[in-house]
Amino acid sequence: MLTRRSALKASAGFVAASAAGTVPAVAANQVVKVGIDMPYTGADATAAVQITEGAQLAFDEANKYHEVPGITFELLKYDDGTATAGQYDPAQAATNARKMVSDKAVLAALGPEMSGSGKAMAPILSMGGLATITPSSTNPDITDPKFAAQFRPGGKAIYFRTVATDAYQGPNMANYMAEVLKVKSVYVLDDTGAYGVGLANAFQQRAEKIGMKVLGRDRLDPKAADYAAVLTKIKSLDAQAIYFGGVTEAGVKLVKQAYDIIPKVIKAAGDGMESSDLLAGAGFPAVEGWYVTIAAPHLVGDPRVASFLKRFNEKFHQQPEDYSLTCYVGARVIIEAAKDLVANKKPVTRAAMRDAIQRVNLQNTLIGPVSFDANGDLNNKIISVFQVRKNPAAPLNSMDQYAYVGIAPSA
Amino acid sequence: MTTASLLLQQLINGLSLGAMYALLALGFTLVYGILELINFAHFNVFMVGTFIAMWTLEGLGLSGQSVILHGPALIAVLAAGFAVTMVVTGVLGVGIERFVLRPLRDVKGPAAMITTIGVSYVLFNVILLFVGAGSQNFPNPMPQARFNIAGAVIELREVLIWVVAIVLMLALTFFVQSTKIGRAMRATAQDPEAARMMGVEVDRVIMTAFFLGSALAGAGGMVFGLYYNYTSFIVGFTAGLRAFTAAVLGGIGNVPGAMLGGIVIGLIEALGSQFVGASWADVVIFSILVLVLVFRPAGLLGRVAPNKS
Repeated sequence: MLTRRSALKASAGFVAASAAGTVPAVAANQVVKVGIDMPYTGADATAAVQITEGAQLAFDEANKYHEVPGITFELLKYDDGTATAGQYDPAQAATNARKMVSDKAVLAALGPEMSGSGKAMAPILSMGGLATITPSSTNPDITDPKFAAQFRPGGKAIYFRTVATDAYQGPNMANYMAEVLKVKSVYVLDDTGAYGVGLANAFQQRAEKIGMKVLGRDRLDPKAADYAAVLTKIKSLDAQAIYFGGVTEAGVKLVKQAYDIIPKVIKAAGDGMESSDLLAGAGFPAVEGWYVTIAAPHLVGDPRVASFLKRFNEKFHQQPEDYSLTCYVGARVIIEAAKDLVANKKPVTRAAMRDAIQRVNLQNTLIGPVSFDANGDLNNKIISVFQVRKNPAAPLNSMDQYAYVGIAPSA
Repeated sequence: MTTASLLLQQLINGLSLGAMYALLALGFTLVYGILELINFAHFNVFMVGTFIAMWTLEGLGLSGQSVILHGPALIAVLAAGFAVTMVVTGVLGVGIERFVLRPLRDVKGPAAMITTIGVSYVLFNVILLFVGAGSQNFPNPMPQARFNIAGAVIELREVLIWVVAIVLMLALTFFVQSTKIGRAMRATAQDPEAARMMGVEVDRVIMTAFFLGSALAGAGGMVFGLYYNYTSFIVGFTAGLRAFTAAVLGGIGNVPGAMLGGIVIGLIEALGSQFVGASWADVVIFSILVLVLVFRPAGLLGRVAPNKS
């Protein structure tokens, strides 16, 4: 359903069905508003725009081909980045969640990009009964039933993901570093954010369990400029590798200074460092050799994805990033859920959309099969590993600089 | 790495940081010494300085870390970068004084200080809107030269920071001590009324203080960019706050005090990160500030402020 061919098939099916008169007469055209929360201000702004464009493409196509009879989708953007934070700001994310919940026409949501925002939004969305699908936030707590009272006070799952969580991303990367890169000692860093701390904790636990020596753990203040002292300490400990849980605000500075102080140490991070913002800010040669993971299968080389890339490029004149794909898939889940309701002649409401998203079972998406467990987590969990390797043929800020190196072994 | 070489390395890190803080702290202190005004716009004059420096270097044909220069070409490019940046930020500082602060000079209370916060946010948002939010890759034409000293590494750019900081501080000291306008500045700092009666043009003195302070912030911005190879619209706040702390620690209004305070804060930050943990750096810095102020309320070298009767 995601390639151009299958999209055509789907719309052809719709045409045939309406010719046979099986599609119910729909009342006046309903506008389904979908809120999307991303940090359009701050260090991760470029990625936020690219991710949003994934959803924009899906909804524009659905509207253009009248894929869901009687339904027009409208994407509303909410910015959770603030100038004072310089990156995503959970307080702003909470405000955005309240705005979405209070707008009666918002029947589903996408985002947020960052887990720190997700933690602030989940309880509000839960009380408002508004389901969201995050294309990239990977902190496991938000969907963990242990924390249901905190993040899911409304009862039902409302935080769905088209990515796996850091409960897999951190530990699987620890396995990859031990098994493939033969790392025996590591120093762990985080950027004090919910995502970064959670990811670094999950990594550290697994690393200790499989016998890697964790030489220490430090926090980098994302607003500080200087990490030389910490890096000098890491150098003095002869660490073989560092693992960084965090996003690009601290990441850019870490990459630059690590290149000067500990050039030979293996450097790895999570999906927060897989972004063109990092390439633009840190630049070559500093960024060369960093390992990053994403909490989704890497199918960009897959022929099914070729059509998506072509359409994306034609519309936005740039390359998507991997989470543009998961966001596109998130939008497709919302479209499929609405389609399901319309086909069964049910009213398209917030509660009905949540239930329909929970039931979605798509086999052939850009990221493989998509269905959700009772907590909203993706049933299919794959962590892909990339390494920055200079590719002079491609623009130096493009995602082509991240070379796919394989799948991180699961625990 | 042995403990001794590790300690030496952290001293080197701390001195580089401290030299940068000192350049910034001087701007706070020059203005405070004459107007008794804490100029929060200074934070973001420094930030604008990093961008002016970046655009100047890019205008000279550098991009990222891909163009490396040597010898006279390197010196010429760096000198041009410093000159343009310092003049532009100096003029920016004078403009802020002339058009925003001068009309408020006779208003009692915190109006002027609050206004400087407003100006700071204007600069911040202008850069944010004009440049965008991402981190910028600051061009650096310096070769990756390293010197090994007793197991510690000194990089060429660290040497540059020290040389620039020392030269500028010596020049400032000479200016304040030995020129006519410098003498007028000191006179105004001691007693603006008496200075005015003796024929000192106070407006000109205040403009000079803003020009010098802002030009030093511009030099600090250039040094920051060359040291970290990056800048973004957000760099003013942390560096500015530390530099302000340095000015208070050394004794606000006191020029040698700002230099000393900068170095001390830089060293505390580096050694604190090594022995206490990086996440505690601010706690350590501000605890030491509080301790110093409890026992020496006027700062390490004593406070200098105009005697306003």
